[in-house]
Amino acid sequence: MSTTLLEEVPPPRLSPVPGVKDGLQRRWARPGGRAYAILRWTGATIFAVIVIGLVVSLMASASQAFGHSGLSFLWSGTYNATKDIYPTGIYIIGTLITTAVAIVLAVPIGVGTAAFLSELAPKWLAGPLSVLIDLIAAVPSIVVGLWGLLVLSPVFARHVEPFLKKIPVLEWFFHGPAYGPSMLLAGTVLAVMILPTIVALSRTALASVASEDREAARALGATRWQVVRTAVVPGARTGIEAAVILAMGRALGETIAVSLVIGNNNALPHSLLAPGATLGSAIINNFGEANPGLDKSSVIGLVVVLLAITALVNIGGQLLLRRRLRAVGATT
Amino acid sequence: MHRGADSRRARDNHDGRDVSRRSLHRWSTLALALGALSLVAAACSSTPTAAKKKTQKTTASTTTTSPAPTTTSAVVAAAPTTTTAAPAAHTVATTPPKATSSACSTSGGPLSAACDTQSPSFKASGAGANSIQPFFTRVFYYYSQANKSVSVNYSPAGSSVGVTDIEQNTVSFGDSEIPIKTPASGTGGNIVQVPVDLGGVAISYNLPGVAAGLKLDGPTLAGIYLGKITKWNDSAITALNPGVNLPPTTIVPVRRADSSGPGYDLDQYLIDTGGSTWTGSAAGTTASTKWPITNVGIGEQLNTGVAGFIQQTPGAIGYVEYAYSLQAGFTNVALKNAAGSYVKPSQSSIAAAGSQATTLSATNFNIVNGGGAGTYPLANFSWTLLYQKQSNTSQGVALGKLFDWVTTTGQQQATALGYSPLPANVVALAHQTLLTLENSAGKALFTS
Repeated sequence: MSTTLLEEVPPPRLSPVPGVKDGLQRRWARPGGRAYAILRWTGATIFAVIVIGLVVSLMASASQAFGHSGLSFLWSGTYNATKDIYPTGIYIIGTLITTAVAIVLAVPIGVGTAAFLSELAPKWLAGPLSVLIDLIAAVPSIVVGLWGLLVLSPVFARHVEPFLKKIPVLEWFFHGPAYGPSMLLAGTVLAVMILPTIVALSRTALASVASEDREAARALGATRWQVVRTAVVPGARTGIEAAVILAMGRALGETIAVSLVIGNNNALPHSLLAPGATLGSAIINNFGEANPGLDKSSVIGLVVVLLAITALVNIGGQLLLRRRLRAVGATT
Repeated sequence: MHRGADSRRARDNHDGRDVSRRSLHRWSTLALALGALSLVAAACSSTPTAAKKKTQKTTASTTTTSPAPTTTSAVVAAAPTTTTAAPAAHTVATTPPKATSSACSTSGGPLSAACDTQSPSFKASGAGANSIQPFFTRVFYYYSQANKSVSVNYSPAGSSVGVTDIEQNTVSFGDSEIPIKTPASGTGGNIVQVPVDLGGVAISYNLPGVAAGLKLDGPTLAGIYLGKITKWNDSAITALNPGVNLPPTTIVPVRRADSSGPGYDLDQYLIDTGGSTWTGSAAGTTASTKWPITNVGIGEQLNTGVAGFIQQTPGAIGYVEYAYSLQAGFTNVALKNAAGSYVKPSQSSIAAAGSQATTLSATNFNIVNGGGAGTYPLANFSWTLLYQKQSNTSQGVALGKLFDWVTTTGQQQATALGYSPLPANVVALAHQTLLTLENSAGKALFTS
């Protein structure tokens, strides 16, 4: 097994042009390959420089805040506008809760829709439906946020939240006054936003499951539903997990849509119906109007924390996927 | 090997069968999507913002034809700048005053409304307070109607944005509800601050069955915003409102999630009147444009966000610029003023607050909780920030004339929108400040 890439191999002189020197012909043939190699390395370097530069410059801007409060910046439970202390811990908890709500809502619906589209739906329905779902991905987040604020919020305040409060077991999650803007509403809006990602990627994963697997399950007498459940979804598991991780990244980092519907309350949420705040919403609320100095540095500190969380989720996801792929490779 | 080829063939067959019908699917999809979008649009058109816009438009068209309120014309007539070319009230919106070109050269001349038409072609850009947006939108529109060569693009992103933008010299002018510390300067040199409008902050509430004018005072409002008073029939509120049947609805205090001029006014009022309930808490004793208590109630972006939330939430109470409250038709609190009487926000009670500002300046700007029985306690002037040295002379002249018009003739538009016309002494202050504008060589742009 050679590791040389195709474009690095000098192109074979299949048909030398008669009357032209050999060396000249080789020189004419090679520059393309060389230029491509340079292009490739430049591209890779630019990407690396952008990422490293981003992290370094953010860290530099946030250093004042971290220098001021040290690691307690990650918690700083008491908020004080005049002292420019941000309750980072509350934002982190809010970010994790809203993302969790979004995942809990979007994954079953998203994977179910993907399974429906790839396995069960008649062709005339599957095409238009998948385009519609892709359209949701094209809707800017401010539009989804405004829709959440103007349309969903009153519906949640009047119908959904009072209904949820009545369910006996879920009481622990849903109690307190129903305002509309809440962790739950923010999670729901996020779920709408990440749904297309989950559907599109899961659908690709499901479609790439070998048809023999389906046929085998069918041959064993499985019903349509059993085929999906026992053969198709397990076969596409890695792809679905990748979809969820990607979607989670978007949910963690969403700013404007969340800030419109979460209620921007810097208190530890006692219920999913309580208003809260996330790192993203806090950044967008405070950055434009932060005073130079410690205030601005603290907001950039929030950015660094958000970046770290997103990076952790992504790296964790990658590791998980890699292990899963290795396991799959070992069994076949 | 065999497996891969097989499945590929299967897929190809699948696709081939469907190719002829695919374009049909595309179109049906598009139709479905458009249908869904129009449904959403229909749902949204019945929402408060859209309704508000509609009312704004209708009021805009009616005020141009209705006669000017007497108070407005009196104030404008008293302004020193309009005496040279006092145009008939409201006709100015459509027919600009004509002037001889010799008196109004672009390089200087007197700062007067008569020279408006002489402004060179200029696209001004501004950023700042969200509270002044309805007023600016209206007056800038009328100004460019009368002076086709001048157009203004105002971004209502918030006072702090306006301050930052003018300090970094990225806009022609900034606007802030609270003047910045003097002597103010930015990358373009000295910044001068011109008072351009007088507005009030309404404490609006949504409490079905309870009429406008619910009485509240400082300590009660502080208790609400600290989360200590949580029900509308709390004894503190009923004690102030004998005879009013208050429901046991939960109070939902709404505040601005961003920093704001209205928030500053209310913070200042609560510091003055809320007693230790307010100052003893995390709020402290220094008023800030950032709302100090952010772990109680709901935070919304800008006046529109707060107004939208109040509109759709029974039990909500929040502070919004009076112009927004007026547009939305909210019920407003009658707030206890320094003289001990309870006053609702209105054009006249806000004007009464403005008339207290006899020694107004960028350092002595605070008119919150002013004296006088009819004074509404939450009012402030909005300040436009300009570089004293205008690097482009003709644009500097155009800006000076624009804001001279805004602070004089433009004030006629204030009343209908929920602002009050500037008192004569403030118009004079604006005029004097605009006269200090210079070109890059340090020569005055205008002769007095």
